[in-house]
Amino acid sequence: MTNNLKVERAIHDMTQADLAEKIGVSRQSINAMEKNKYVPSTVLALKIAKLFNRPLEAIFFLEDTD
Amino acid sequence: MKTAYLLPKKYKTIGWILFIAGLISGMLSYVLNFNNEILVTNVFTIYSDSFLGDSSFFKIIENSILDELIALSIIVGGLIVGFSKEKVEDEFIYKLRTDSLVWAIICNYLVLLFTILFVYDMTFFDVLIFNMFTPLVIFVFRFNFLKLKSQGHDE
Repeated sequence: MTNNLKVERAIHDMTQADLAEKIGVSRQSINAMEKNKYVPSTVLALKIAKLFNRPLEAIFFLEDTD
Repeated sequence: MKTAYLLPKKYKTIGWILFIAGLISGMLSYVLNFNNEILVTNVFTIYSDSFLGDSSFFKIIENSILDELIALSIIVGGLIVGFSKEKVEDEFIYKLRTDSLVWAIICNYLVLLFTILFVYDMTFFDVLIFNMFTPLVIFVFRFNFLKLKSQGHDE
Protein backbone atom coordinates (compact mmCIF):
# COMPACT_ATOMS: atom_id res chain seq x y z
CA MET A 1 0.00 0.00 0.00
CA THR A 2 1.17 3.50 -0.74
CA ASN A 3 -0.10 6.93 0.23
CA ASN A 4 0.14 10.62 -0.50
CA LEU A 5 0.42 11.71 3.10
CA LYS A 6 3.33 13.97 2.29
CA VAL A 7 1.30 15.84 -0.34
CA GLU A 8 -1.69 16.20 1.96
CA ARG A 9 0.60 17.43 4.69
CA ALA A 10 2.10 20.01 2.37
CA ILE A 11 -1.36 21.19 1.30
CA HIS A 12 -2.34 21.71 4.92
CA ASP A 13 1.09 23.11 5.75
CA MET A 14 1.81 20.63 8.51
CA THR A 15 5.05 19.08 9.70
CA GLN A 16 5.24 15.40 10.58
CA ALA A 17 5.21 16.41 14.23
CA ASP A 18 2.04 18.50 13.75
CA LEU A 19 0.22 15.64 12.08
CA ALA A 20 1.46 13.15 14.66
CA GLU A 21 0.23 15.32 17.50
CA LYS A 22 -3.17 15.94 15.88
CA ILE A 23 -3.94 12.24 15.54
CA GLY A 24 -2.15 11.15 18.70
CA VAL A 25 0.65 8.98 17.33
CA SER A 26 4.43 9.20 17.43
CA ARG A 27 6.29 11.12 14.74
CA GLN A 28 8.08 7.88 13.88
CA SER A 29 4.74 6.43 12.74
CA ILE A 30 4.14 9.28 10.29
CA ASN A 31 7.70 9.04 9.04
CA ALA A 32 7.43 5.26 8.55
CA MET A 33 4.11 5.60 6.71
CA GLU A 34 5.46 8.25 4.35
CA LYS A 35 8.40 6.02 3.54
CA ASN A 36 5.98 3.16 2.86
CA LYS A 37 7.61 1.15 5.62
CA TYR A 38 4.49 0.86 7.66
CA VAL A 39 0.88 0.11 6.74
CA PRO A 40 -1.37 1.84 9.27
CA SER A 41 -4.32 0.11 10.90
CA THR A 42 -7.78 0.90 9.59
CA VAL A 43 -8.45 3.06 12.63
CA LEU A 44 -5.36 5.17 12.06
CA ALA A 45 -6.02 5.46 8.31
CA LEU A 46 -9.60 6.61 8.98
CA LYS A 47 -8.37 9.16 11.52
CA ILE A 48 -5.96 10.63 8.97
CA ALA A 49 -8.63 10.75 6.26
CA LYS A 50 -11.01 12.46 8.67
CA LEU A 51 -8.42 15.04 9.66
CA PHE A 52 -7.69 15.95 6.04
CA ASN A 53 -11.40 15.76 5.27
CA ARG A 54 -10.85 13.43 2.34
CA PRO A 55 -12.16 9.96 1.48
CA LEU A 56 -9.83 7.14 2.44
CA GLU A 57 -9.11 6.22 -1.20
CA ALA A 58 -7.85 9.73 -1.90
CA ILE A 59 -4.99 9.25 0.55
CA PHE A 60 -4.20 5.52 0.58
CA PHE A 61 -3.76 3.41 -2.54
CA LEU A 62 -3.34 -0.30 -3.17
CA GLU A 63 -0.27 -1.37 -5.12
CA ASP A 64 0.06 -4.20 -7.63
CA THR A 65 1.95 -6.25 -5.06
CA ASP A 66 -0.88 -6.05 -2.51
CA MET B 1 -3.37 2.68 22.09
CA LYS B 2 -4.17 0.46 25.08
CA THR B 3 -1.82 -2.28 26.11
CA ALA B 4 -2.43 -4.24 29.27
CA TYR B 5 1.09 -5.28 30.12
CA LEU B 6 3.07 -2.05 29.80
CA LEU B 7 4.34 -0.17 32.85
CA PRO B 8 3.99 3.60 33.13
CA LYS B 9 6.66 5.66 31.41
CA LYS B 10 8.15 6.98 34.67
CA TYR B 11 9.78 3.62 35.41
CA LYS B 12 11.94 3.77 32.29
CA THR B 13 14.82 5.71 33.87
CA ILE B 14 15.14 3.39 36.86
CA GLY B 15 14.95 0.47 34.44
CA TRP B 16 17.88 1.80 32.39
CA ILE B 17 19.95 2.41 35.53
CA LEU B 18 19.36 -1.14 36.82
CA PHE B 19 19.92 -2.66 33.39
CA ILE B 20 23.17 -0.83 32.57
CA ALA B 21 24.55 -1.14 36.11
CA GLY B 22 23.74 -4.86 36.06
CA LEU B 23 25.38 -5.39 32.68
CA ILE B 24 28.54 -3.52 33.63
CA SER B 25 28.94 -5.19 37.03
CA GLY B 26 28.13 -8.53 35.41
CA MET B 27 30.89 -8.09 32.83
CA LEU B 28 33.31 -6.95 35.54
CA SER B 29 32.57 -9.85 37.82
CA TYR B 30 32.94 -12.24 34.88
CA VAL B 31 36.24 -10.77 33.66
CA LEU B 32 37.79 -10.19 37.08
CA ASN B 33 36.46 -13.48 38.40
CA PHE B 34 34.90 -12.33 41.63
CA ASN B 35 33.79 -15.55 43.06
CA ASN B 36 32.36 -16.59 46.26
CA GLU B 37 33.80 -14.27 48.87
CA ILE B 38 31.80 -11.08 48.44
CA LEU B 39 28.52 -10.39 50.23
CA VAL B 40 28.24 -13.81 51.83
CA THR B 41 24.97 -14.07 53.72
CA ASN B 42 22.51 -16.64 54.90
CA VAL B 43 19.94 -17.44 52.27
CA PHE B 44 16.95 -19.72 52.19
CA THR B 45 17.06 -22.45 49.58
CA ILE B 46 14.35 -24.76 48.37
CA TYR B 47 16.86 -27.08 46.82
CA SER B 48 20.55 -26.87 46.07
CA ASP B 49 23.14 -29.48 45.40
CA SER B 50 26.75 -28.40 45.88
CA PHE B 51 29.76 -30.00 44.23
CA LEU B 52 31.28 -30.83 47.59
CA GLY B 53 29.12 -31.78 50.50
CA ASP B 54 25.48 -32.47 50.99
CA SER B 55 22.48 -31.28 49.11
CA SER B 56 20.15 -28.92 50.94
CA PHE B 57 16.40 -29.17 50.91
CA PHE B 58 14.35 -26.33 52.44
CA LYS B 59 17.30 -25.06 54.44
CA ILE B 60 19.22 -21.92 55.30
CA ILE B 61 22.65 -21.97 53.63
CA GLU B 62 25.52 -19.52 53.18
CA ASN B 63 26.00 -18.04 49.74
CA SER B 64 27.60 -15.05 48.07
CA ILE B 65 24.65 -13.02 46.83
CA LEU B 66 26.67 -10.88 44.41
CA ASP B 67 25.77 -12.93 41.34
CA GLU B 68 22.12 -13.04 42.40
CA LEU B 69 22.03 -9.25 42.74
CA ILE B 70 23.63 -8.77 39.32
CA ALA B 71 21.28 -11.21 37.62
CA LEU B 72 18.22 -9.65 39.26
CA SER B 73 19.38 -6.19 38.27
CA ILE B 74 19.85 -7.13 34.60
CA ILE B 75 16.58 -9.04 34.33
CA VAL B 76 14.37 -6.63 36.28
CA GLY B 77 16.01 -3.61 34.60
CA GLY B 78 15.71 -5.17 31.14
CA LEU B 79 12.06 -6.08 31.63
CA ILE B 80 11.26 -2.56 32.81
CA VAL B 81 13.11 -0.94 29.89
CA GLY B 82 11.53 -3.23 27.31
CA PHE B 83 8.04 -3.15 28.75
CA SER B 84 7.39 0.37 29.96
CA LYS B 85 5.52 2.88 27.86
CA GLU B 86 7.27 5.09 25.33
CA LYS B 87 6.71 8.84 25.20
CA VAL B 88 3.99 8.23 22.64
CA GLU B 89 2.71 4.69 22.70
CA ASP B 90 1.02 3.86 19.40
CA GLU B 91 0.52 0.95 17.02
CA PHE B 92 3.80 1.54 15.20
CA ILE B 93 5.86 1.47 18.41
CA TYR B 94 3.91 -1.63 19.41
CA LYS B 95 4.88 -3.25 16.12
CA LEU B 96 8.54 -2.31 16.62
CA ARG B 97 8.42 -3.90 20.07
CA THR B 98 6.95 -7.18 18.87
CA ASP B 99 9.24 -7.28 15.82
CA SER B 100 12.25 -6.82 18.10
CA LEU B 101 11.06 -9.64 20.35
CA VAL B 102 10.76 -12.03 17.40
CA TRP B 103 14.17 -10.89 16.14
CA ALA B 104 15.73 -11.42 19.58
CA ILE B 105 14.37 -14.95 19.98
CA ILE B 106 15.48 -16.04 16.50
CA CYS B 107 18.89 -14.41 16.86
CA ASN B 108 19.43 -15.84 20.33
CA TYR B 109 18.63 -19.40 19.33
CA LEU B 110 20.68 -19.26 16.14
CA VAL B 111 23.70 -18.27 18.23
CA LEU B 112 22.84 -20.95 20.80
CA LEU B 113 22.60 -23.60 18.06
CA PHE B 114 26.03 -22.58 16.85
CA THR B 115 27.53 -22.79 20.34
CA ILE B 116 25.87 -26.16 21.03
CA LEU B 117 27.67 -27.51 17.98
CA PHE B 118 31.05 -25.89 18.48
CA VAL B 119 31.55 -25.09 22.19
CA TYR B 120 32.12 -27.77 24.77
CA ASP B 121 32.76 -28.45 28.45
CA MET B 122 33.12 -25.59 30.93
CA THR B 123 33.09 -22.96 28.21
CA PHE B 124 29.60 -24.12 27.32
CA PHE B 125 28.63 -23.49 30.93
CA ASP B 126 29.62 -19.84 30.36
CA VAL B 127 27.48 -19.82 27.24
CA LEU B 128 24.53 -20.99 29.34
CA ILE B 129 25.12 -18.18 31.81
CA PHE B 130 25.17 -15.58 29.04
CA ASN B 131 22.12 -17.18 27.53
CA MET B 132 20.09 -16.28 30.61
CA PHE B 133 20.35 -12.65 29.53
CA THR B 134 20.90 -12.54 25.78
CA PRO B 135 17.22 -12.71 24.70
CA LEU B 136 16.41 -9.70 26.87
CA VAL B 137 19.59 -7.81 25.97
CA ILE B 138 19.17 -8.34 22.21
CA PHE B 139 15.50 -7.37 22.47
CA VAL B 140 16.21 -4.11 24.33
CA PHE B 141 19.00 -3.06 21.97
CA ARG B 142 17.11 -4.04 18.81
CA PHE B 143 13.99 -2.18 19.95
CA ASN B 144 15.91 1.00 20.73
CA PHE B 145 17.90 0.72 17.51
CA LEU B 146 14.69 0.45 15.45
CA LYS B 147 13.19 3.40 17.30
CA LEU B 148 16.24 5.55 16.55
CA LYS B 149 16.33 4.38 12.94
CA SER B 150 12.69 5.27 12.33
CA GLN B 151 13.18 8.73 13.75
CA GLY B 152 14.12 10.17 10.32
CA HIS B 153 14.01 13.87 9.62
CA ASP B 154 11.02 16.07 9.90
CA GLU B 155 10.45 17.84 6.60
